[in-house]
Amino acid sequence: MLKISTKAMYGIKAILDMAINYPKDLTTVKSLAERQNIPEKYLEQIFSVLRKAGYLISTRGSMGGYSLAFPPQEITVGDILRVLEGELVPVNCVTEHSYRAKCKREDKCITRYLWAEIRDKINNIVDNVTFGELAEGYKQIMN
Amino acid sequence: MRISTKGRYGLRAILDLAYYSKDEYVPLNVIAKRQQVSEKYMEQLFSALKKSGLVISSIGVQGGYMLSRSPKEITVGDVLLALEGDLSIIDEVHTPTGDKGDANLTDEYLHNALWKKINKEVYSLLINTTLQDLLDKYAAKVWGNKNADQLNLIKNLE
Repeated sequence: MLKISTKAMYGIKAILDMAINYPKDLTTVKSLAERQNIPEKYLEQIFSVLRKAGYLISTRGSMGGYSLAFPPQEITVGDILRVLEGELVPVNCVTEHSYRAKCKREDKCITRYLWAEIRDKINNIVDNVTFGELAEGYKQIMN
Repeated sequence: MRISTKGRYGLRAILDLAYYSKDEYVPLNVIAKRQQVSEKYMEQLFSALKKSGLVISSIGVQGGYMLSRSPKEITVGDVLLALEGDLSIIDEVHTPTGDKGDANLTDEYLHNALWKKINKEVYSLLINTTLQDLLDKYAAKVWGNKNADQLNLIKNLE
């Protein structure tokens, strides 16, 4: 099945929360976890991965926490999904890794074309939605 | 987000059937051999496809499977739904009524503004692509001459 992982869904929700609060996006894992109803331990892991990937900055100290490394309009949904989910493909044979083992049926496979089309559809959407847009949309609905 | 093995192999199998069968039943071992999948596994796939009414079967010496209708009338969505059970990229959002905390609001918003959109796009691609579409676009290119292939296979089996 084509399900997006819980991890990725939590990550997207957390970054949206920060984008909505931007530029006052500095937050602790604890308070964001409470606000967005995400298990705290899980969010810690997710933020650690996103920090290593360069999308979050962490500040130490009593006033410390996490903040976005870029303005929300410069972060796409695809950026975050790919960090947490890996390449967004329906089937491994259409990933773009050069080290991907070539399937022995690849040259004789019709369905691979379909998988590539699905891959392109999904990536095309997520690469064209920024957290800036999502946050704006959210604020409009809430007002 | 991945399509299961069942979905991948099942779609290939039914495309094989669509390509090589013209109003006659094709034995499973022929499809299994051509697609390099065990006959046992092929049986599982076809039993799911049959349950969804996409193929019909016949028992006996001339037995096997064939499509229940034209490849123009079977979409990739039909096939994957039969094999995967569900094509949605997310589970339904259950928002408890009355409680409108931040978490529920963002869940609901993301559901409508993002996840549903992706779902819709993928779904529309799947239900608008028929088996015939895939065969027209790619079969000759990747499978070559159908009749020659069929003859070789029969020779190999004999």
